[in-house]
Amino acid sequence: MIAIEKVGKNFGSTTVLDGVELAIAPGEVVSILGASGSGKSTLIRCINGLETVDAGRITVDGFDVAEKAGLAEARRRSATVFQLFNLYPHMTALENVMLAPTMVLKRPRAEVEAEARALLERVGLAARAEAYPAQLSGGQRQRVGICRALAMKPRYLLLDEVTSALDPEMTAEVLAILAQLAREGTTMLFVTHEIEFARRISTRVVFLEKGRIEVNLPTAEFFSEAGGLANPRIARFLSRMAAPEAAAPLSPAPTDAHEAS
Amino acid sequence: MRYADFTWHDPIILLQGLGVSLWLFLATSAIGLALGIGLALTRYYRVPVVARLVQVVAEFLKNSPVLVQLFLVFFGLPAMAHINVTPVEAAMITLAGNTAAFVYVIAVSAMEQVGRDQVEAARVFGLTRGQIVWRIIAPQALAFAIGPLIGLAVNQLQVTSLVSVVGVMDLTKVGNILNMRTLKPFVVWTVVGAVYFIIARLIAALGGALERRLRAHAAWAGL
Repeated sequence: MIAIEKVGKNFGSTTVLDGVELAIAPGEVVSILGASGSGKSTLIRCINGLETVDAGRITVDGFDVAEKAGLAEARRRSATVFQLFNLYPHMTALENVMLAPTMVLKRPRAEVEAEARALLERVGLAARAEAYPAQLSGGQRQRVGICRALAMKPRYLLLDEVTSALDPEMTAEVLAILAQLAREGTTMLFVTHEIEFARRISTRVVFLEKGRIEVNLPTAEFFSEAGGLANPRIARFLSRMAAPEAAAPLSPAPTDAHEAS
Repeated sequence: MRYADFTWHDPIILLQGLGVSLWLFLATSAIGLALGIGLALTRYYRVPVVARLVQVVAEFLKNSPVLVQLFLVFFGLPAMAHINVTPVEAAMITLAGNTAAFVYVIAVSAMEQVGRDQVEAARVFGLTRGQIVWRIIAPQALAFAIGPLIGLAVNQLQVTSLVSVVGVMDLTKVGNILNMRTLKPFVVWTVVGAVYFIIARLIAALGGALERRLRAHAAWAGL
């Protein structure tokens, strides 16, 4: 279980997280919604130890991420998929997936390679195993990012806006894989702007507003009139996200210079 | 009588001089490379005091003439510290130190070019600092640095000619001797210059091949 207890975080004089209380039990898929700047990504970065918390405590299966040994153990139990993929550009897709299992878990190369190839095959990238990230499309890169996380056999998967940098078609590729993982019972903390998708796969939805948890409800309740939608802030957020063309009528049509060249 | 003509022996002593130049170049490049990278790591790890000290010394070595540095070592060390150095030792110390200073600057900037995002990913996956430096930073920093390093190597090859001033029998010193004997500067210095040129082109060609290999992963990045 990931336990977030009264966590506070400031960047200078800006409060990014303020008394956040959240627990993610094994088997849950928890989606975190919220406007940009509401602290969603920072929360993930506090759980995986990229940021230190200024108040409160975060534990992963009881291991406190504020302690050196605790953080090392917590990092073995969770794996992160990043918004901008953060792949190692000098390594092939296969090497990206294999690095941490061989270097951190010290598992035998042959075994790790077989598993890594199986993972890549599962996300439809068997033929691209020897390609470098620069040779892959955004969606393919993110699928490698997911394989890299899964190769560590994490108990918790932390997903930080993993589709924000992708066009709709690539987003669909990645979401299909996440939906499958959810069906298989993978525990996920899913920071996202994909509201419809969050509704489909999550067991619980959390709404963050200015660093505070505004609402934390089971998915069905969150999207019901009497539940989350009763909160005017959430109702407004959801209606805007559901109909982005109303909020931003001038948003440009998706282009794909990549394919055209 | 005076041997003003060229003899069959002259190419051999030129080759001997070339051997000394090449040996000096290779040895000081190797030492300078190792030292420069090691010093760059003190900066990467933010080692207190040492990192700052290294920066100051590197600035001095970069911004003063190598010939002045050579004189400081060759004449300064015996006079001030009572340490006697042979011409070859003085040449080694000066060139290795000078190369290290430039390697340090190149290495620091190359390491800074490796994206923080990947380092974060590696940390999150539990890699140690050493593993991150060795597996993530080093290969990519090397790919960034290889171009400037080749340029530096070509330059440092030419700089080795300065050691002839303190009496090291390198290619330039041999050229000087031949010139004084034959009084045919145009022939002697053309040959000596051509030899430096050929070696420099060889270094650049080898370096270029290495660079293409190291940057293979970025070959498609332009697409």
